Amino acid sequence: MHMDLRAFLDDLQERLPYDFVRIERAVAPHQFEVTALLQHLENQKKFPVLFFEKPLSMDGKPSAFPLLSNVFATRQRCALSLGMKPNDGELPLSLEYARREDRMLDPVTIPRSEAPVKQVVKRGDDANIFELPVVRHHAMDPAPYIDMTPVMKDPERNFYNISFQRNMVKGPRKLGLHMSPRHNWQIHRKNEEKNRPTPVVIVISHHPAFYLGSLNVSAFGVDDYAKVGAIMGAPLRLTPSETLGEDFLVPADAEMVIEGHVLANVKEVEGPFGEFTGYYGPQRLRNVIEVSAITHRRDAIFQHIFTGHRDTWVLGGIPKEGSLFNLIRGVVPTVKAVHFPMSGSCRFNCYISIDKKVDGETKQAALAALGGCDFVKHVVVVDADIDIYNEEQVMWAVATRVQADQDVDIIKNVKGNTLDPSQTDNIMTAKMIIDATKPVQRPYEARVAVPKTAMEKTRLEDFIPRAVVDRLPKT
Amino acid sequence: MTKIFWVTCPQCKGEFYCHWQELRHKKLKLLCPYCSHQFLDEESPKIVE
Repeated sequence: MHMDLRAFLDDLQERLPYDFVRIERAVAPHQFEVTALLQHLENQKKFPVLFFEKPLSMDGKPSAFPLLSNVFATRQRCALSLGMKPNDGELPLSLEYARREDRMLDPVTIPRSEAPVKQVVKRGDDANIFELPVVRHHAMDPAPYIDMTPVMKDPERNFYNISFQRNMVKGPRKLGLHMSPRHNWQIHRKNEEKNRPTPVVIVISHHPAFYLGSLNVSAFGVDDYAKVGAIMGAPLRLTPSETLGEDFLVPADAEMVIEGHVLANVKEVEGPFGEFTGYYGPQRLRNVIEVSAITHRRDAIFQHIFTGHRDTWVLGGIPKEGSLFNLIRGVVPTVKAVHFPMSGSCRFNCYISIDKKVDGETKQAALAALGGCDFVKHVVVVDADIDIYNEEQVMWAVATRVQADQDVDIIKNVKGNTLDPSQTDNIMTAKMIIDATKPVQRPYEARVAVPKTAMEKTRLEDFIPRAVVDRLPKT
Repeated sequence: MTKIFWVTCPQCKGEFYCHWQELRHKKLKLLCPYCSHQFLDEESPKIVE
């Protein structure tokens, strides 16, 4: 069996049945009903996958496509998508991603006739976005948005780049595309300089490992199709596009793809849009995509991510943890773990633990993280005795191992992220390194600990019945 | 994020914000995200910048 979304959903329902909720009642995604349900659940700290059987399309009619929400909102599900045990969703998942991210696995090309995504092909005016159950997410969003992954191909070196980017629905065949100045933006800039449109395909729904793989932090020029294959653990199957030429390849096992062109030197107002930061990105002048085809499986599932919430945070954090672990290990071999906590939208704050042997290693590790990923704004480096998946422990290390005048460094005028609302410049930001490790060069006080022998000898269940312990409230 | 300015839609009075360098004083119509009305920034009854 090939890796596709439905194989994952079968696996999910078998192994984490309480993570999957099927909703039979009709729902209007373009009128905030889907995100209202997700928000109600989030308010109760519940993050299941929601499978809407009867969503309405944008034109208010019953859609032919069920809608899938919130796939990436837990690390357990992300671990499952990489073929791991759900309980391995913390450090083991980061390390496994790092192991796979170090490799490339070339894709294979199959004929259109064998590609599930070509079971239905709609070209030109038959390709109507209004027939899709596109989600309007937050109050200030001006329209429903497709928030999955546009794929572009470099016109000079022929590698593909995949990126999550917001696409405002502007018409039945027209989208407004927001690109930060990163890899897809670079590709389009090259075409635009020659007044050429940029071919683009938006991968609407695929196996979650495809999307985790697409968020690798590789340098510009690395072929994302090969990188995604390495993360998925199987070569990505590709097939020729319908309207972008035989040599523009699209994922064959996707549920649905939208083909089109980013117009050259055409910009229109787009946004605001509730972004991953938890704030609205402002209305801007952004690019326009003219849609040329929609192809899909006969019973395709339409997917979106709940931007600005755990669904995007977890999804974005895990690949960065893996990629930066590999990068930091090159300069600090004793790195133990890298984690992007929810408190920083899994982008801006980065926690690193190292088994420090020499004092300078802390800054080496932090600088590698800052250089390796421009999202990273604040780096906290701790010793290996701190569990960086436990924010309380990280903040305890900051409280007890940091002298601000000696252990905090500010680096000004570094490339940041245009969506960070605290930036006063469009591009430039300030970065901060907090060294919360103990010094190697001088003796340091020891953490309190109950003697290990006493812990082993004095068993809780001998003094308090297990049933009583189980009833005790967790705080 | 770079400099923004808040505007008020003259039709529905809804408030939203825009990218200052790209849309302030540019004679481009803004799009109200609440009622889809299009208007110039100078038509906004209130601008906060």
